[in-house]
Amino acid sequence: MEKQYRLIYDENLCIGCQACNVACRVENSVPDEVYRVQVHLHTQGEFPNLGMSFERLSCVMCENPPCVSVCPTNASFQSKDGLVHIDERACITCKYCILACPYHARFVNPIKNVVEKCNFCYETRVSKELLPACVSICPTDALSFGDMRQKQSLVHQKSHKEVLVFPKAHLGTKPKVAFIPNRKGMKS
Amino acid sequence: MSPMWGSVEQYSAIHWSWAIAIYLFLAGLSAGSIIVALLVKWNRHERSNSSIWDAMIKAGSVVAPMAIFLGLFILVIDLGRPLSFYWLLIRYNVTSIMSLGVLFLLIYTPIVVVFMLLVFERSVIKYSFFAPLESLINLVKSFHSYAKIIEYFLFVAALCVGSYTGFLLSALYAIPLWNSPLLPILFLTSSLSSGVAVNILIGLLFFKSTINTESIKYLLVLDTRVILTELPLLGLFFIGLFYAGGDAPQAAKMALTEGFWAGIFWLGVIGVGLGLPLLTVIVALRSHVYRVGYVVVNSMVVILGVLMLRYYIIYAGQIYLG
Repeated sequence: MEKQYRLIYDENLCIGCQACNVACRVENSVPDEVYRVQVHLHTQGEFPNLGMSFERLSCVMCENPPCVSVCPTNASFQSKDGLVHIDERACITCKYCILACPYHARFVNPIKNVVEKCNFCYETRVSKELLPACVSICPTDALSFGDMRQKQSLVHQKSHKEVLVFPKAHLGTKPKVAFIPNRKGMKS
Repeated sequence: MSPMWGSVEQYSAIHWSWAIAIYLFLAGLSAGSIIVALLVKWNRHERSNSSIWDAMIKAGSVVAPMAIFLGLFILVIDLGRPLSFYWLLIRYNVTSIMSLGVLFLLIYTPIVVVFMLLVFERSVIKYSFFAPLESLINLVKSFHSYAKIIEYFLFVAALCVGSYTGFLLSALYAIPLWNSPLLPILFLTSSLSSGVAVNILIGLLFFKSTINTESIKYLLVLDTRVILTELPLLGLFFIGLFYAGGDAPQAAKMALTEGFWAGIFWLGVIGVGLGLPLLTVIVALRSHVYRVGYVVVNSMVVILGVLMLRYYIIYAGQIYLG
């Protein structure tokens, strides 16, 4: 049966350790100077009233992906499960998709010279019923991943318990990555 | 010092650089020059089968294929994987403007080549080197009764090529400066302007014997009208961005006031590209008295201005995201 994947990032549990960043690099052989996932730390306010918040930057796996509709060779495509992948063979590296992505999730792999991004570790892990590398390594369980069609899955339960925020939802991209927004510490 | 999450360079990289700006310029130049050549052919030639072509038609028929071939060459070289460009020809995606552009170019490019061969039919026949082309010309000439229809078809194809470069950019809502419905019409008008200028320039330089000063006057009047359309279009373009929501107003404000590219806009695009030609018309070519020196300089200034508009839109769009 087709899956309805969701990845939930809880900003309240994240400690900014970058373990996800490193695990992704190892799992997907991402070259040094580029990133499929980063967690940025924002510090706001004035001493002593300082607050922090974390922000995850990666592909959000849109339901309506602008990178797929602009790709001239269909190298950027959406699978039956709604995941967005790149067919490296047909990618001519015109970089149109990089410009089309409002999340800045795509980059040119300087070694392979093709466009690349997070793919939820689909081939190496998710298709084998394993969790994506970033999710499995997260020491505080700030990341959870699963199939929304399965009622007992963690993401299903969290989605019903928590208030979820979908990044840049106003663009109508319908991301499959959701955030549980920071409830404390942030001083605007 | 890099932050603990590593380098953030990839988030502010310029992905489309000078090569794309030059391609957009050359595609526009090609389409503009063939449109202008056709307008002269339809409006200024008494007999459509005249064998002594106006210099403006000759110029357009040479510039159009050369500009599009050079542009496409630069475009393919600029790909991350130039040798894989053939995927563009075997796989199509109708929702991708780039893919539609490939289709337009596949129709447009052969027709402009044939148009050039027909205009220079006599020169082609003169040299044995071109002998293989002769049969092609004869084949095309056998369709002579459809000439007008083929010309209309070429005209529409040129309009498609001249405007698709605008749609290419305006289709991306991630980039506020590009995501404007006015961009295609702005690019089309400015490419018409560059077409007038390049045809006059090439005509004066290489086809002096067939220059018809009346045609040049006709084109100079046309160019003045085009420039007077382009100015309000640029105004509307920015007004539209200021009224749009999201990041657009901030991006537009930065693009008009900050850094090198704001300077390029005010001095290059507005000053040199549109202001100087209008000034020339008012001061030197009043009532369109024909003066070769001014006309040549004016043409070069117009072409430079159109090139700078493409550079400005390409770079400012990627830099000023709001």
